Formats: sequence, C-alpha cells, structure tokens
Amino acid sequence: MPALLILVLITALAGCSGSHSILDPAGPAARDVAWLWWAMLIGFGLVFLVVVALWLAAFRPRDRAERSPGQPDTYDVERRQGLRWILGGGILLPGVTILVLLAFGVPAGQRLMPLPLPGGETPRVIEVTGHQWWWEVRYPDGAGEVVTANHLVMPAGEPVDFHVTGADVIHAFWVPRLGGKIDMIPGRINRIRLQADRPGVFGAQCAEYCGVQHAHMQLHLEAVPPEDFGAWLAARRDAEPESPALDDQHASARDSFTANCASCHRVAGLSEGEIGPDLSDIGARATLGAGTLAMEEGAIARWLAEHQHLKPGNRMPAHDHLALEDLEALGAWLETLRP
Amino acid sequence: MSESMRTTPEVERLHSELSAVWGNPRGWRGVFSVVNHSTLGLRFMATGLVFFLLGGVLAMLIRTQLALPDQDFMPPEIYAQVTTMHGTVMMFLFAIPMLEGLAIYLIPKMIGARDLVCPRLTAFGYWCYLFGGIILFASLLLEMAPDSGWFMYTPLSSSEFAPGPGSDFWLLGITFVEISALSAGVELTVSILRTRAPGMALHRMPLFAWYILAMSLMIVVGFPPLILGSVLLELERAAGMPFFTVAGGGDPILWQHLFWLFGHPEVYIIFLPAAGIVSTLVPVFAGRPIIGYGWVVSAIVITGFISFGLWVHHMFTVGIPQLAQAFFSAASMLVAVPTAIQVFVWLATLWLGRPRMSLPMLWITGFLVIFVCGGLTGVMLALVPFNWQVHDTHFVVAHMHYVLVGGMFFPLLAGAYYWLPLVTGRMPSERLGRLGFWLTFLGFNLTFLIMHWTGLLGMPRRIYTYDSAMGWDLYNLISSIGGFMMAAGIAAVLVDLVVHGRYGRRAPHNPWGADTLEWSLAMPPPNYNFASLPRVESRHPLWENPTLGDEIARGEHARPGAAHGRRELLGSEALTGRVREVIHLPGNSLLPLFAALCLAVVCVGLLMRIYPLSLVGLAGAGVLLLRWSWENGGHSRAAPLGHNDPEDPPLHSRTADGPGRWTMGVALLADGAFFLALLFGWFYLWTVSPQWQMPDQSPLSLPLLLASGAALTLGTLWLERRVAALRRGHEAGLTLVLSAIAALGGLHVALLVAALLAAGLEPTATAHDATLLVGLAYLLVHGGLAAILIALQACRAGLGLVGARLPFEPGVVALLWRYQLGVFWILSAAIALLPRLTGAGS
Repeated sequence: MPALLILVLITALAGCSGSHSILDPAGPAARDVAWLWWAMLIGFGLVFLVVVALWLAAFRPRDRAERSPGQPDTYDVERRQGLRWILGGGILLPGVTILVLLAFGVPAGQRLMPLPLPGGETPRVIEVTGHQWWWEVRYPDGAGEVVTANHLVMPAGEPVDFHVTGADVIHAFWVPRLGGKIDMIPGRINRIRLQADRPGVFGAQCAEYCGVQHAHMQLHLEAVPPEDFGAWLAARRDAEPESPALDDQHASARDSFTANCASCHRVAGLSEGEIGPDLSDIGARATLGAGTLAMEEGAIARWLAEHQHLKPGNRMPAHDHLALEDLEALGAWLETLRP
Repeated sequence: MSESMRTTPEVERLHSELSAVWGNPRGWRGVFSVVNHSTLGLRFMATGLVFFLLGGVLAMLIRTQLALPDQDFMPPEIYAQVTTMHGTVMMFLFAIPMLEGLAIYLIPKMIGARDLVCPRLTAFGYWCYLFGGIILFASLLLEMAPDSGWFMYTPLSSSEFAPGPGSDFWLLGITFVEISALSAGVELTVSILRTRAPGMALHRMPLFAWYILAMSLMIVVGFPPLILGSVLLELERAAGMPFFTVAGGGDPILWQHLFWLFGHPEVYIIFLPAAGIVSTLVPVFAGRPIIGYGWVVSAIVITGFISFGLWVHHMFTVGIPQLAQAFFSAASMLVAVPTAIQVFVWLATLWLGRPRMSLPMLWITGFLVIFVCGGLTGVMLALVPFNWQVHDTHFVVAHMHYVLVGGMFFPLLAGAYYWLPLVTGRMPSERLGRLGFWLTFLGFNLTFLIMHWTGLLGMPRRIYTYDSAMGWDLYNLISSIGGFMMAAGIAAVLVDLVVHGRYGRRAPHNPWGADTLEWSLAMPPPNYNFASLPRVESRHPLWENPTLGDEIARGEHARPGAAHGRRELLGSEALTGRVREVIHLPGNSLLPLFAALCLAVVCVGLLMRIYPLSLVGLAGAGVLLLRWSWENGGHSRAAPLGHNDPEDPPLHSRTADGPGRWTMGVALLADGAFFLALLFGWFYLWTVSPQWQMPDQSPLSLPLLLASGAALTLGTLWLERRVAALRRGHEAGLTLVLSAIAALGGLHVALLVAALLAAGLEPTATAHDATLLVGLAYLLVHGGLAAILIALQACRAGLGLVGARLPFEPGVVALLWRYQLGVFWILSAAIALLPRLTGAGS
C-alpha cells in the first residue's frame, strides 16, 4: 500500500504540467495558489498522519493494571487528561492552523482583485462574454472593432483586467495556469486580474456547468509580447474588410455564406450577425467549436458537415440542405480569413 | 431475555394487552395504515437503501463514461441527466431520509418512549417521501430527468434554457420530499424535548439524541429556504414570474443564495447524525463513558449555529464583496473547531478506555481516516484564493465525497452493523463484513484520493468527455477502477445484511455491552418498545443497572399495560425530565396515506400542466388534513377515555400545554424560516438585483391593509383573552366567541383579498409585482387557515370536544393567530410602508 502510494505520487508529480494544470503556474496569482497548495498539503498531511496514528495507537494492546478503578483520584486524573486532549487537539490545533492560513491566504487573494496598481496606472481591459457554448472576446482598445471568438490574445508580462459577463446562462472564466476563476453572470460584469509572466499558449475552460456542451467550451488563450500585442491589435483594427472584389476563386462560397450564415455570424466588412461566433479571423484560430476540433486543412468543412455529431446539441443548426461540396467550398473560403 | 421473562400469567397479560393496543393491523390495511415508529423507521431506511442503490448505479454509469477519454458510452444529454440525478438522489432520497429513518426508529427507544409524539405525521412523512421519490425517479425512466446539475442554478434551469419538464420534476419532487423531512424534523424535535423518560434531564440524554435534536432543528430552519426557492422557480417556469430573470428585475444569484442557505446546513444535517453514531459507538467499544460530554454538546450546538453562517463559501466565485468573502472564509474555517473537538473527544475516550476493534469500530475507523482528510481539504477550500482555483473542479468533487461518504456513509454502516442485532435478533457475519469493509474502503480511496489530483490538473466537474491531450486519462481510469471496487464492497455488505437475517447466529442480549436504553428491549423490540416506562437518572442506565430490561418487561416501572385501551406515553418537562402528563397517541389511520396521495395528485397535475387536477388534489389534501386534525383531543377515536386514576398525571388533552402546542410551535419555526427567506428575497432583489424596478407609488392600498390588520389584531387579542379564560375554567359562550373570532379572521382575509385586487399587480411583468403577489398569497393562506381552524374549534366547542375540561386545542390554534399577527405586520411594513418611507421608486 505505501509502495503503491509512492508510485502514484511520483507519477503524479511528473504529471504536474499540462495546459490546464493549477500546479504548473505561469503567472503571479496562480503561483501564489500553487505554493499555498504545496504548503497546505505538507502541513495538513502531517495533521492527518498524526490524527490517524493517534487513533490506531489507541487500539494497541495495553496493560492497564496500574489504573484500578478503586483509585480515588482516577476521575480527576481522567478529567485532566481528557481536557488536555480537547484543548490541545480541539481548540489549539485548528486555531493555530486557521490563523496561519489566513495570514498567508488573504494577501494571496489580493492579487486577483482588480485594485488600483501602485503606480496609479490602469491595466488594459479585455471583455469576455460567455455564450452557450463559446466565448466572445472584445478588445476595447481596438475601437470596438476587434472581436475574436474562442481565441483570446493578451499581452504578456503586464496585468490585464478581464471584465466578464454571461449572455445566456452563468458561465465561469478560468485560465488555470494564470489564476482563479470568476463567474460570468447575465446582467452583471465581474472583474478579475490576471498576468502571464511570459508569452505562451494557455488553456482556458468554462468552469460553471452551463448545459450539455459545457465540456466543449474551451478558450485558446495566447499571451504575446506587449509590443506584438499592440501590433496585432492595430493590424486587426485597420485590417481591410473582406472585399468581394478581392478574388473570384471563392466568390460562390462567399455568396453561400451571405445566404446561409451571415444572419448569425459576423465577418468584418461582410456581415454583422451577432448570434454565433465572429468569424473574421477563423482561419487563424487554433481550434473549432471552442476546443472540439483542432484546426487543420479541411477541418472547417468537416465541422460544417458533422458539427452536431462532434458537439451534439450546439446551437448551430445542421446544414443538411447544403451539398457536401458546397460545405467544402465554404470551408475552404473560411480558411482564408486570417487578417 | 424476553422469552424467558414472560413466564408468569400476569406478565403474559401485560404484553398481550399492550400488543392489542399498539399492534400493527394485519394484511393490506396494515401496510397502508401503520403509524408505528419502528415499522416506519425501517420502511424509511429500506426505501432509502433502494434509492442508494439506484444512485449508485448512476455513479457507475458516470465512472464508465469518464474511464477513458473521448468515450461514446452516453450521449451528453443523458450524461447531464445522470449526473444531476446522481447528486439529487444521493442527497435528497438517500442521505437525509436514511438518517431520518434511523432517528425515527431509534429515538423513542433511546429516550424511553413508546412512540414518537405525532405517529400519523410519521406515516404522512413516509408516504410523501415515497411518492416524491417515485415521481422524481420516474423522470429518469421517461428520459425527461432534470439536467441542470443537482443545484439547479438559474437561468440554466429556467424555462428558456430547460424547456422540458425536467426542472419541474426536480422542483416538485424535491419539495414533496422536503415536506417529509420537515415532518420528521418537527416531530423528532418535540419528541426529544417532551417525551423523555422520567428523570432523563437534558444533561442525562444520550448524545445521539442531542445530535438528532440539532439535526431536526436544522431541518426545521434549513429546508424552508429551498422550499421557497423551489416555489419561486416553479412560479417563474409555470407562470412566467421573473424572480430570477434579470430583464424582469429578478436576479439569478437569488436562487444561489436560497439554495445554499439550505445547502450548507444540509451538509451538517447529514453529518451530525452520523457523528452521533460515532459518539454513541466509541464509548461502547472503548468500554467507558465518553470524555467531555459537555464539550460534545457544545460542539453540536456551535456547529448548528455556524453552519447557517457559511453558505456563501459555495459562491466565492460569484463576485461578492471582499469583506463578505473574508467573513465567510473565516466562518468556514471556524467550523473546523467544533469538529476537531469531537475528533479529539473520541480520541481521548479511546485512549482512556480499552477499545476493541469490532466490526462496527472498523467502519468507524474508516470514517475517521476519510473524514479527517475531507475535513482538511474543506479548510483548504475555505481559503478564498485556493477556492478560486479549484472551485467547480474534480478537486471539489473529491472533497465532497470524502466529507459525505466518509462523514455519513461509513458511520451509517457502523451503525447498521451495531444496531442490526437489535432489529433482527441476529449477528452479522464478521468475515463477510470485513471483506466488505476493506473493498469499500480501498475502492473509495482509490476513486477519490486520485480525483483531488485530477482536479488540480484542471479537470472541471460535470464534463461528459475530455481530450486525451489533457493528461487526465490515467487518473480517471484509476478512479473508475476504484469506483467498481467500492461497488463490489457494497455488494458484499448487502449480501451480509440480507443473509444474516436468516443464517446469522442468534444475538445474545445487549451483545456489545452498550449503555443506552434501546438495548434493554427485546430483540427485535415489540411495537410498544417498553412494557413499563423506566425512570432514568443516569447517562448510562444499562451500565448502572444491567437487569433494567427484565424489570421493564415484567412491568415493574411506570404505566404498565394498556387496560384503558389508550396508546400512552409519559410527557416530561423539556429541561428536567419531570413527568408532566400522560400523552395519549392516535392509533393506525389511513388518513396520512390519502393526504399524501392527494399531494401526489397536485404534483402530477402541475407536472402535466393540468392545473384543475392540482386544485382538486389540493382541496382533497386540505379536507383530509382537517379531518385528521378533527380526530384529536377528546374525539372518541383519538382517545378512548377509560379510567384514569386521580393521582395519575393528567391526560395531555386535559392540560393547556401538551405536546401539540409544542408541535405547532416548532412547525411555526419552520414557517418562520420560510417567511424570513421570503423577506430576504424581497430585500435582496430590492437592493442587489441589477435591473430592479420599483414603482413610483406602491400599488398596495394602505387603508385596506390597515383595516385587514386591525381585524386580525382584534381577533388575536380576543382569542388570547378567551384562551386564558378557558384555562381558568370559564367556558360559557365559548362557541359564540370562537365563531365571532373566526368571522374576524374571515374579514381579515376578505380585506386582504380586496387589497390584492385593488393593487392590480402585473406579476409576469416585474419581479417587484411577483414578489408582492407571493407575499400577499402567503398572508392569505395563513389567514385563511387561521380562520378555518378557529371555526372548527367553534364547532368542537359546540360538540363538547373543547371546553373547560378539554382546554387544550384553542391554545394551539392561538399560536397560529399570534404568528399570523407577527408576519402580517412585518410583511406589510416591508412591502407597503418601507418603499413609501424611502421613496424608493423615485
């Protein structure tokens, strides 16, 4: 049994990393929590072992001849011994533990609070809205024009305030490697401050049960150097709208999009649909269906044809009325959208 | 012992007399009309076991689905139903009813009573539980089970996002089951306070009774907020009143508050009785009295209070103010103190005694290991920054199972093995029992210890599938293997329980050498428990006097026999246990069954949206319940009068403060909790809801409300005066006066209806109007009930069932009037006066 536990522990420690691992922190808030966890594990592990050992030790065979019931002071002795147990284990132990915990824990909580920064500057704001079952991300610095879906770009190395809300039901915004989660509630805006130490890609996931496709509500979060972020934002803001005149190869697919998809989906310069995810940069995304399918050549066409099988219950109607080759052409055109 | 003791003809006569009065009827009628607490307690537990097995099958389905990445075992919509139902069934249909059943079975035996104080209520509670459970579980077979998670967060559970009847099944079924829990809570409270053996002062009461008293009071105060929440959500779903919809001025977070206001105490409602089992068994197997009885009692009381102050720790990610978070975080950690006190009391008792590792003790040891671990992760979770990370991950799933399975299931099985010989007279098999324990214990830890890790690696709860790239495969597979191992262990335990009843060796009397009264009874105990009612002046009656059981069976103690034909037990003073009166209990009755059936009709009508059917059911239930209350007190079916020696304590129906008054008081406590939750909802929506719309001018007419209140106040004062006079023996003109008071009650209701009609509320347009409507409806129901009950009292006075010799009942109804007086003025001030004073609309 101990050997098994050690084995499990070793495998587990080796497996600390992972795109969603709390124990592989990549930002100050998550790092504090990871440290808290390891400290609590060791401290509480000791408490646990001592209590269990005391319990088992009570059952050891004992010679109790020295305590004959006739002894007049037995009752008082027992009372005093019992009191020592209760005061020591029942009051002192939890009391000290709680004080220590709060002393370390409360400051750690501050880092996630959107409090004013020491220098008086305000961090950049990114707005995230949860939908059943996808993410809408808006960048106020992008003059209201820059919108991404299921894909979030943020500057690394500086704190970012995320303003989150829910469009339909309650979701929760959670980037495990950067820090805690916050609920996205219809009618309210919640704020959380996160920071990525270095550029990288981080998994994010809806953490509040939001319906059948809760599992497939993942967000691809990319932290880039601050200067790259500025450049990306500017490029997206100033990108040429998709122009019907640009090329004819995809003309029919684009027409098919306008006829079948435009009322729900936005493509900058072409359509203004707001029910489904913004597709202006779909060709540049890492995944489709909020983490259901990895992006590769032909993936969009496959998604269009099989999405109700890949992500059953999602809100996009099936495209049974469109021929497979039409869907393929549509997919091929959509893949070209990478501003 | 009992067989050999019943030798003399006199003892024989004693027992046949008691059996004739207390016996369960035979045949089908017996199945449906039984009110005996032993029979019903066992039924509660057997039904709970069935639901446990069903919930366990659902758990196996979940573990199968999650065993491998990208599994196709269940489609997501079925998975959502299965997870929702697993949580719901285990919490509402297994854990609580099971522990209630245990308490219903044991409490009278432990405190020296022959039955609970409201036997028909026990039966009514059982039928409500059974019908509610069947309705709820039927939804799964119909593939329309609730699928919004077991805490049913709005708006996911609202009609827009859950259009099918799933949420309705949950709301109605759970409310039905909660009626059952409340019934048990009310009568257990009153029974423990008022029917203890003579001399059993509170400080001599077995610790188990303290735990059950705390559990019962917590049920009484803790369940009504969820009932209110369910009523409001059902009104939103069925009638479109926007309590939880932002656009109408409601707030989805209100549901979370109401749910967890119930939900957190619920954890302790489950844990406390289980801890009560531990505190009962540890001294027995240590062979010495518990160390620190007073400490344990204080720990129980403190736990009860703190548990109502930490519901927000389920909502740390909702975005509540920092100060509130710090408060609830500290409170959540603080609850570790009373728990630690109990753990160290048990440790001290074992160390200062000579403990034996018998089979029940083995389960207690399993409890300790698992529960301490779950308690420690609980303290971790109370730390807000850590909570923000692991909230809604599998870490929480693991923690919750450590607390609930460790804190409830393991002690329950310890209790099962401990009390089984009492129920069946046979000993379970040591070998099969140990095999079952080890499989369950190891399987459990394999499943859930590793699951903490899965959660730390970022696996959220309630996802139906995951990608292999996440790195969660191995841990999930281990969890699934452990889950099936645990299932095998539980199967072994079940086989043991079933087989032992037939092949187990006969249990010796008091096989564990226990100290509490239930072991003084024959095994299995007769329907009436005690042939004569012993005096108890020690915490350990059987250790003081090992032959007590024989004396009781020989009828050497108080009130032996039943020549008078009444079901009698002794009513005692709440604090001192001094005898006050002889309580006579009603006998077997079909009314509870029919009343519960009518409520089932209400439920089905609401589910199928055939509202007239529901109205018929409601009317039927009302009539039956009133008929039930009619067969009380001096009614010939309630208490054949027989002879009563003048020096005997008086029959309770001849006194002014019998247990019925206490029952009414505790029931009104539950009602008050419901009312407070309603007030909370009103003020919460008013102050916090993002789009609350307060009209410029309150639609409620002050003159009408004042007039209605004046009628109520006048009626209440008059009734109080009349009840006081009745106690002094003045009964002249009683019928007339009570009729006049009933008329005042009618006037109160009529004026309230007028105020409601004059307000012209639009409850589907705004949460404000909807809340007013619910508040006024609440007053109307209570006002109407108060008027009807006092009108019935007038009839009873006319028939001679109430009078100077039978002064009991008007005092009970007067409590309801007093309550209505209080809530009427408070609510009127809150909804009609305060908005005017604050000028809230402008």
